[in-house]
Amino acid sequence: MSVLAPDRPSAEAPAPESGGIAPAVRSFGLRALSVGGFLLVWWAVARAEVWPPVILPGPGAVWDQAVATSTQGYSGHTLQEHLGVSLRRILVGSVLGTVGGVLLGLVIGLVPVARAVLGPFVTFVRTLPPLAYLSLLVIWFGIGEEPKIWLLVIASLPPVAVATADAVRGVAPDHLNAARSLGARPWHLPVWIVLPHSLPEIMTGVRIAVGVAYTSVVAAETVNGVPGIGGMIREAQRYNQTDVVILGLIVIGLSGLLLDWLLQTLDRTVAPWRGRE
Amino acid sequence: MPHAPEPALELTGVGHDYRRDGRRGATVPALDGIDLSLDAGEHLVVVGPSGSGKSTLLRLVAGFHRPTRGTVSVNGRPVRGPGPDRGVVFQRPTLFPWMTVRGNVEFGLRMAGLARAERRALAEHQLALVGLADAAHLRTYELSGGMRQRVAIARALAPDPGIVLMDEPFGALDALTRERMQEEVRSLWLLTGKTLLSITHDVGEAVRLGTRIVVLSARPGRIVLDEVSDLPRAGEPGTHPDFTATRDRIAHAVRAAAR
Repeated sequence: MSVLAPDRPSAEAPAPESGGIAPAVRSFGLRALSVGGFLLVWWAVARAEVWPPVILPGPGAVWDQAVATSTQGYSGHTLQEHLGVSLRRILVGSVLGTVGGVLLGLVIGLVPVARAVLGPFVTFVRTLPPLAYLSLLVIWFGIGEEPKIWLLVIASLPPVAVATADAVRGVAPDHLNAARSLGARPWHLPVWIVLPHSLPEIMTGVRIAVGVAYTSVVAAETVNGVPGIGGMIREAQRYNQTDVVILGLIVIGLSGLLLDWLLQTLDRTVAPWRGRE
Repeated sequence: MPHAPEPALELTGVGHDYRRDGRRGATVPALDGIDLSLDAGEHLVVVGPSGSGKSTLLRLVAGFHRPTRGTVSVNGRPVRGPGPDRGVVFQRPTLFPWMTVRGNVEFGLRMAGLARAERRALAEHQLALVGLADAAHLRTYELSGGMRQRVAIARALAPDPGIVLMDEPFGALDALTRERMQEEVRSLWLLTGKTLLSITHDVGEAVRLGTRIVVLSARPGRIVLDEVSDLPRAGEPGTHPDFTATRDRIAHAVRAAAR
């Protein structure tokens, strides 16, 4: 072993100045390689025409649609407009759902009676697939913007409420005691201690909620969803435009990754003490 | 002898029972028949074997629990709950990780309604007293165990409480840090003249820091020894000729109490 030692530093550990960059480069390289490999296999299979293009169009056809929909549009709206409208719905729906969820979670976590009364409802709603209550929302609110926003609010509220309620109940009693000994009155505690203490768990709930809202937006847009990325997919399916459907899937997937990355960054900014207490 | 002014802290016939989980009505006695009166400026150290109700005693004074029997009063007023007149330093630092070091120290001042500039100046002063003037902007989880306890002490002192309660504040620290912290608490006490009540299972610490030492017996905790000592006012109590004898006497009482 010691015989090998002189060689190892240069072979395994890169020079100090590139030490921080090398792993990042390698990880990026691996990702690029996996995406490139996937595209290559896709291209080869489509090229071999195992299935007709209406079942599996090639990457080239999807790219052409990407260019066409972003310049000329599809169903009267460009790709950016479709995506923008969907993202706006997700944003409005999950912000309202988060605010409602935090308030509801605070009440459930702090008031035992509220937990007994409201807890089962939250659990019940959480188990419902959004598509199941969409019909009811359409009957109530019509086919405009309202049922879509309501669907996202209802879908994203329970995860935040449950995460908040659990976190609130997990507040260390001595944190509350310390605050009281420093002169905090009982009504100061929710805002000064309980809520900030629960931030890491609430942020986890928010990430789940946005994920749920993201998967639900396509469901919400099955009824009169144009403009909207889900509406665009739905429309393309009616005319067997498989390349547009796949384009829609890729756009949803990529923007979902971006959104989750943004939320992770927000999490690190808002609750940097997570796991380090 | 002139009549003494109102004691800073007075416990009369205090006893406390904990409810035992699971069994309806079953209780475990933690403390019983505690009569204790503490004058302003004293540093009372309570020593005792584990399970002697030391922490219970402190938590009753802090107002975290109501005593089952008897009364606890501070400056003649009965304790009804936690309050800023009694600063608390916990065994595990209960610093707020969502605030900076400064934010933690300013918390009590903010609750007292002080203006921003005043808060800042007072917090800076307190942090300087515990040697952490440069750490104000740090987050609490970036600090070592000893530094965290110093912040906890600064935070407890900032609202200028009449009494400071310390529940085994150095129990979780390594021996070297612990010794340094003991010395710092002694100089803080000499400097501020605060009334202190602290809990420890370390007899050496009790003798180095306490102007008054109380030994509690095993469950239920009763006072088995209550003695006054002048060692902490000496230059270096650990080297005082009486130190070893006092320590041995207290240690003997603690051992006897544990039986």
